[in-house]
Amino acid sequence: MKRFKTRWAVAALALAATIGTVACSEDAGIEISDAWGRPSPSVATAGAFFMTITNNGAEDDALVAATSPACGTVELHESFMNEEGAMAMQPVPGGEITLPAGGSVVLEPGGLHVMCIDKLQDFTEGADLELTLRFQNADDTTFDVEIREP
Amino acid sequence: MTDTQAKPRPRSSLPVWLPVLLGILVILALFAWFVLPRLRPYQFNGTVIQSEMPSTNFTLTSADGPVSLSDYRGRLVLLYFGYTFCPDVCPTTLADVNKALDQLGNKAEDVQLIMVSVDPARDTPEKLAEYVEFFNPTFVGVTGADEDVRRVATLYNVWYEAHDEEGASGYLVDHTATLNVIDEEGHLKLLIGYGTGADAIAADLDYMLR
Repeated sequence: MKRFKTRWAVAALALAATIGTVACSEDAGIEISDAWGRPSPSVATAGAFFMTITNNGAEDDALVAATSPACGTVELHESFMNEEGAMAMQPVPGGEITLPAGGSVVLEPGGLHVMCIDKLQDFTEGADLELTLRFQNADDTTFDVEIREP
Repeated sequence: MTDTQAKPRPRSSLPVWLPVLLGILVILALFAWFVLPRLRPYQFNGTVIQSEMPSTNFTLTSADGPVSLSDYRGRLVLLYFGYTFCPDVCPTTLADVNKALDQLGNKAEDVQLIMVSVDPARDTPEKLAEYVEFFNPTFVGVTGADEDVRRVATLYNVWYEAHDEEGASGYLVDHTATLNVIDEEGHLKLLIGYGTGADAIAADLDYMLR
C-alpha cells in the first residue's frame, strides 16, 4: 500500500515538474535550481556546490567560471572513476561545462561540481552562501547556495 | 448426455467450490507475498569476500594516540581511505555511513569507522579528528609516515596517487573509495563501493550484525 502511494506521489511530482518546466520554457536564458552544498567541518579547506543548470535559450552556452565571497578560489571540477577503479577528481577538461540549448546539466556528488577552495565561510547546516556563475553568452547570475544534507 | 431437461440453475447460487478456490488463492498470494522473500538468502549490496585469511593488523596515529585494527576486534570495522581536502567523494561517503549508523540504532555501537588519510603531508592527526568527528563523533581518523600509510593501503588493495593541478588546489589525491568491512573476528568480509548509499550500507551492516 505504501509503495502504491509512493508511486502516485512520484507520478504527481513528475506531472507537476513537467507542467512547471513547460510553464518556464518561454523564458530565455539560464536557470539555476536546487543549488546546495554538503555541510563540512572548517578543517576541510575545500567544499563543493551542486545544482541543476538549465539552458532555456536557443543557443548552446557554457559555464566558464565562478566566484564566491565564501571561497578563496572557485573552480569547476569533476569527480569520476578512473581506469584504476579509484575515485579521481580534476578541473573540468577545457575549463568549462557545456550547457546545450534547451537542456539541463546536473552537478551532483560523484560528478560535476563547483569546487570552493580555501573556504572563507563555514559550511554549516542552514547557511546560505553566495555564488556567482559566469557564462560564455548569458549574463552573470548570482544566487545563494543552501548548505544542507541532500 | 442431454441437458434439455435440466432446469437453468438459479443465478444467485454460485458453485460451492468457488469460495474454496478463492480461499486457496488468497492463502497462496499471502504466502508468496510474505513468506517467499524471507526464504531467499540475503543479497548483499556490497561485494562479499570469502577469504578465510585474517586481515593484517596495523597501527597508525590518531589525535588520541596509536590506533590498531585489533583494538576493534568484536566490532565491525569500516576501513576507509580518504583525505580532508576531498570536497565531494569523501564527505558523501562519510555522511552516508553516518546516516546508515543512524538507521541501525543501538547496533551502531558495534560498528567502528576508521578513515586512513591518503594525504599524510596535509592531514595532521588533529585535523583528521576534527574532520571525521564532524560527520559522526565516533569516527576515528588515522595517519602516519608516508611509507606506513602506503603499506596499509596496499594491504587493503587501496590505490592512491597525488597529482598536481594548475589551479588553487595545489594537488589532488585520487584514491580507491571503497569501504572495507572487517567482521568481528577480523576477516575482511565485504567491499562497499562508492555511491552505494546509506540505506544499502545500513542493510548490509544490519545483516552482518544479525
